[in-house]
Amino acid sequence: MERRNFLKMAGIGAITMGTAPAAFSATVCDKDVAFDKSYDVVIIGSGFAGLSAAIEAKRNGAKDVVIFEKLSMFGGNSAINGGLFAAPNTPMQAREGVNDSIETMVQDQLTAGRGIADEALLRHVASNAAEALQLTIEAGAEYHPYLQQLGGHSVARTYQTSVSCGAGITQPLLKMARKEGAVTQNRAKFEGFILNANNQVVGVKIREGYYFGREDSGKVINVKANRGVIMATGGFAQNIKLRMAQDPTLNHEVGCTNVEGSTGEGMLAMFKLGAVPVHLAHIQSGPWASPDEGGFGYVSNYSIYNFPHSVAIHCATGKRFMNEIADRKTRADAELGCRDQDGNPLPPIMITSYEHASQHPNCKKVLKYNVGWKFDSLEQIAERFNVPLTALEEQITEYNGYVKAGKDPQFGKIMDMAKDKYIKAPYTVVRLWPKAHYCQGGVQVNVNAEVLDSMSGEHIKGLYAAGEVTGGVHGVSRLGSCSIPECMVMGMTAGRNVMKG
Amino acid sequence: MKLVKYFALAAIVLSASTGAYAKDIKPWHDGFKCKDCHDQGLKSFPSDQSCLQCHDVDDLADATKRGGDEEWQNPHNNLHYGKELPCIECHSEHQKPETYQPLCLDCHTFKYEKFKG
Repeated sequence: MERRNFLKMAGIGAITMGTAPAAFSATVCDKDVAFDKSYDVVIIGSGFAGLSAAIEAKRNGAKDVVIFEKLSMFGGNSAINGGLFAAPNTPMQAREGVNDSIETMVQDQLTAGRGIADEALLRHVASNAAEALQLTIEAGAEYHPYLQQLGGHSVARTYQTSVSCGAGITQPLLKMARKEGAVTQNRAKFEGFILNANNQVVGVKIREGYYFGREDSGKVINVKANRGVIMATGGFAQNIKLRMAQDPTLNHEVGCTNVEGSTGEGMLAMFKLGAVPVHLAHIQSGPWASPDEGGFGYVSNYSIYNFPHSVAIHCATGKRFMNEIADRKTRADAELGCRDQDGNPLPPIMITSYEHASQHPNCKKVLKYNVGWKFDSLEQIAERFNVPLTALEEQITEYNGYVKAGKDPQFGKIMDMAKDKYIKAPYTVVRLWPKAHYCQGGVQVNVNAEVLDSMSGEHIKGLYAAGEVTGGVHGVSRLGSCSIPECMVMGMTAGRNVMKG
Repeated sequence: MKLVKYFALAAIVLSASTGAYAKDIKPWHDGFKCKDCHDQGLKSFPSDQSCLQCHDVDDLADATKRGGDEEWQNPHNNLHYGKELPCIECHSEHQKPETYQPLCLDCHTFKYEKFKG
């Protein structure tokens, strides 16, 4: 790992650790709590889940809906992710003749979940994913004219925004939410719940005028929620202390794709209220990330597109070390295992034929911004990355044999998407190193997006949650492109049900 | 002699007090007073609307427009946040320009040659 980037990530970690979550508390109110503001529905967080919830709440009769966002910008991690949206039985699948089903998508995810994913929630999401996709299109989102098959999926079912970024969805949804009449307020940090004497959530404390990192900035007000509060606060991948408490391997060596606000306070506040913690130790690292750029960058989408027809090479051995389209957990662990003789991180490289890599728009960008490189020969690659040449040549020849045969006896890679795509010159190469990306764990919810109490197993009245702040849906490993459908479907579900209860 | 001590102490206190509030500002903002920007009091950042008293975001987006595949690298009309990213996420009045960078460079390696801080 280049020293500058390593120190940069270490610095990010140091800054994050200095921003420990504040102590949250629930306030019990009878009649002595004075509310400064009042809304039908109060939504915390402005990503896919929060925006979807706001739109649906409005469309189901909510008079006043507000989205509070603690950062200065709206969109959270949703605005910087890869814009990859998996859904079965979609128009593009029909056009491309892809045979898919709700059941197939659920089974793919159960397999990746290693037997502990929540089947009811997965089925609920898969059953409504096409509808959520349609909502984004109605809002103005545009997609590439082809489907992708991401790691762990048995068929191609993934749409990607034409800008290869989640902002291609968050921007249209934000405009749609406002058009529907939702209020959006930035620099407004959630600081705790307000309960009535029956332990029902009737409001929240919000720090208005909040500047991230300055925990005493602004002023705390009480906000009444006539119908309910929807927590859509995302994950905690940026909280190094908290993630290491769950999984000590996720130390400062592992970067993070998330926005700086992904520190988990909303989740912790719900635990204090009695919500059930589920699967907190299952934290996903993106195996497609690059040590040569910060966050999600450009390499992530480039790699996601190219993994099916590329090889990942351990620089010390010149050999493959993993199935390049296995699920994320398998690949991230394999990459973290790439070390030099002193045990230090030795980021592996991914080699792709330029002919195939150049089909994705990010290829041009990774080359332009020097986070990927083009080579005319394996000799040049071996020299640049200090890879044993003979071993590398043998590996490429072997792998091309797998492409021809349609079978990978080395790692069991499904070769459908690699058909006729041989690794040949000129090559493009990127370095790989996992970044903490997604927290499968969170609070337990049911298919109505209701937060469940750990003592009674019943709905904590007035409290809903959607998106990455919830836990249990994906189990051990979340499949790529399955977060947007989950966030949106559960956000829409919360928006509807808050108006029923 | 007592009077000399008191005057000296007063001088020290006054200069310290003055120093506490005399922040460096960017040369292009010479002549502006604290309250021109600090609409939320001196102990807080200015509000997100403060810069927009003098600067128009649409004009800025036009001025920094980029073509082709760099269209969305326009810092004032960018891919992730459109024209809504508050000014102080990239610009700082009191910090030395060499100690910080535009927000985009946390994840990207774009070139912002005209960025002055």
